[in-house]
Amino acid sequence: MNASNEYAKVGEFKPIDLLAAAGAREVNDGDVVFAGTGLPMLAITLAQYTHAPNSRCIYEAGSIDGRPIDLPTSVGDARCCYQCAKAGGLYEAFYGQLHSGYVDLGFLGGAEIDKYGNLNTTVIGDYNSPKVRFTGSGGNADINSYATRTVFIMNQEKRRFREKIDYVTSPGWRVKKWPTGEWVPRREVYGKFFRGGPTAVITDMAVFRFDEEGLMYLDTVHPGFTVEDVKANVGFDLNVSRVSGETKPPTYHELDLLYKKVDPEGIFLP
Amino acid sequence: MSTINEISLKEAAGLIQDGDCIAFSGFTIWRRPVALCYEMVRQGKKNLHLFEVQGGFHSEVLIGAGCVKMWEGSWIGQELLGKTGVNLSRKQCGGEVIVDDYSHGHAVARIQAGAIGVPFFPTALAMGTDILNPEYDGFARAGQRDGSNPYVARKKYEIVKDSFYDMGELLLMPAINPKVALVYAPMVGTEGTVRVLAQSYNDSDVIKAAETVIVICEEIVPDEYLRREPTQNLATGYEIDYVVKCPWAAHPTGSQYYYDTDADFLRYFNANTRTQEQFDKWADEWIFSVDSHEEYLEKLGVKRIEMLRASQALGYSTRVKRGMR
Repeated sequence: MNASNEYAKVGEFKPIDLLAAAGAREVNDGDVVFAGTGLPMLAITLAQYTHAPNSRCIYEAGSIDGRPIDLPTSVGDARCCYQCAKAGGLYEAFYGQLHSGYVDLGFLGGAEIDKYGNLNTTVIGDYNSPKVRFTGSGGNADINSYATRTVFIMNQEKRRFREKIDYVTSPGWRVKKWPTGEWVPRREVYGKFFRGGPTAVITDMAVFRFDEEGLMYLDTVHPGFTVEDVKANVGFDLNVSRVSGETKPPTYHELDLLYKKVDPEGIFLP
Repeated sequence: MSTINEISLKEAAGLIQDGDCIAFSGFTIWRRPVALCYEMVRQGKKNLHLFEVQGGFHSEVLIGAGCVKMWEGSWIGQELLGKTGVNLSRKQCGGEVIVDDYSHGHAVARIQAGAIGVPFFPTALAMGTDILNPEYDGFARAGQRDGSNPYVARKKYEIVKDSFYDMGELLLMPAINPKVALVYAPMVGTEGTVRVLAQSYNDSDVIKAAETVIVICEEIVPDEYLRREPTQNLATGYEIDYVVKCPWAAHPTGSQYYYDTDADFLRYFNANTRTQEQFDKWADEWIFSVDSHEEYLEKLGVKRIEMLRASQALGYSTRVKRGMR
């Protein structure tokens, strides 16, 4: 294995490698992480192999603190259960863990997002006569509503970063107060149940974070891209006044881990 | 000592009436009663109402085949082996299936309430979203919430204010008590004790909530064997009504310690059932061209089945090709 902690150069890694590495860096050692299916699995697994060996991962089908030696293709996979502290069901995951308040970090994907971090994974078009149906919420809305921090991993496209999304599947920093549907700050709806909210969005071009008002801003741009490239791929007026620099590329060690330990079967990594 | 009521696959599917409200065991692409769903398609079931904490391959088959009129749940798809539910997408967009969406936490609350016999369950999960938008209440829009359908609550949810500890507003989600639970489990004992060998998903809740419970299993084992380790068991014999013995009944979904998910089969299904013509062609090949699950297994072939067989040490196959390497 290449144990070098030097950063790889542009051309030596693929966009998905950087996504996984940047995602992994959002995990703090000791975090209880509730991860969705897909790229979040790569990121949390890489984090556990590197700087966050004491982070614990919950998958929504009921495996608590598993130590998979093979990457799952489902959050209900037999692989999620390998060496887990407890194998329960969805009641344990969503109520025994999440609603009880154990979860520090939610790690999720999505199809569309707005500037407040509201996410759509349900339909494109009017819900009552949609053009396309996606998966639906699954645990996305729950995890995002109850984790202290939530990180999203998404593709950067103008049609995915929208001023107004077609359906609010998962709650951001300004949400709808029912029965009227009036947009209000998240705390107003969650009250004493408030625990936190979205903290970062990681794409194949950049890392975004949320300011004190819950508005998304550009934090770092991935090597090979410019602020203008990012702006051109965001459908709302993006705050670029707080850019802190370039996203750190994956290290040679991280790349080695990704291809040899995390996903040697090539489920994600080509 | 009690006994089990063992019936055939065809008899089990025959118990399902058109219009029934059904819930299933399993999670997305694991431990689904697929053989029973195939047989329901062969028997031409219509107008089914599926309550699913989340759907998967089995629901896509029933929906694609035109067996389903109403679908409610939080999610549908095959995860990394076919991201979206392409058949529900086609039927929902075409107005052929009435759909109502929940979050996972909401759906779990509903089946939990049904399981323990209370009319609702409180939750503060997924508030502030369009899941709670009254305009998007699919079942209400279809006129289903007038109290005439015993399997549809009069309201999708209620917002209540906590009067015990002054915690503020939260949700009450209505119970669901499906007419039939179709459950896949690897092992059922001779007295009906049910065991699963990994995550329990919502299987226990689905069993307790439903009026009639049909369990389809890999093998029937002496109850004495299961009672040696009672902490490993999911349900007692008196919670279940019928048992069907049908090896490989969950294929192409997986069953921990028996067989893995069939990644190629699931990916092919997802990519090749996007139009109705494609689905019909797929169903002709895999459902209608065979008359029994034994014929289906013969069609799959020994090589494929052996590739899926789970390692007894790990609970999944180390031979199945899942990725690009």
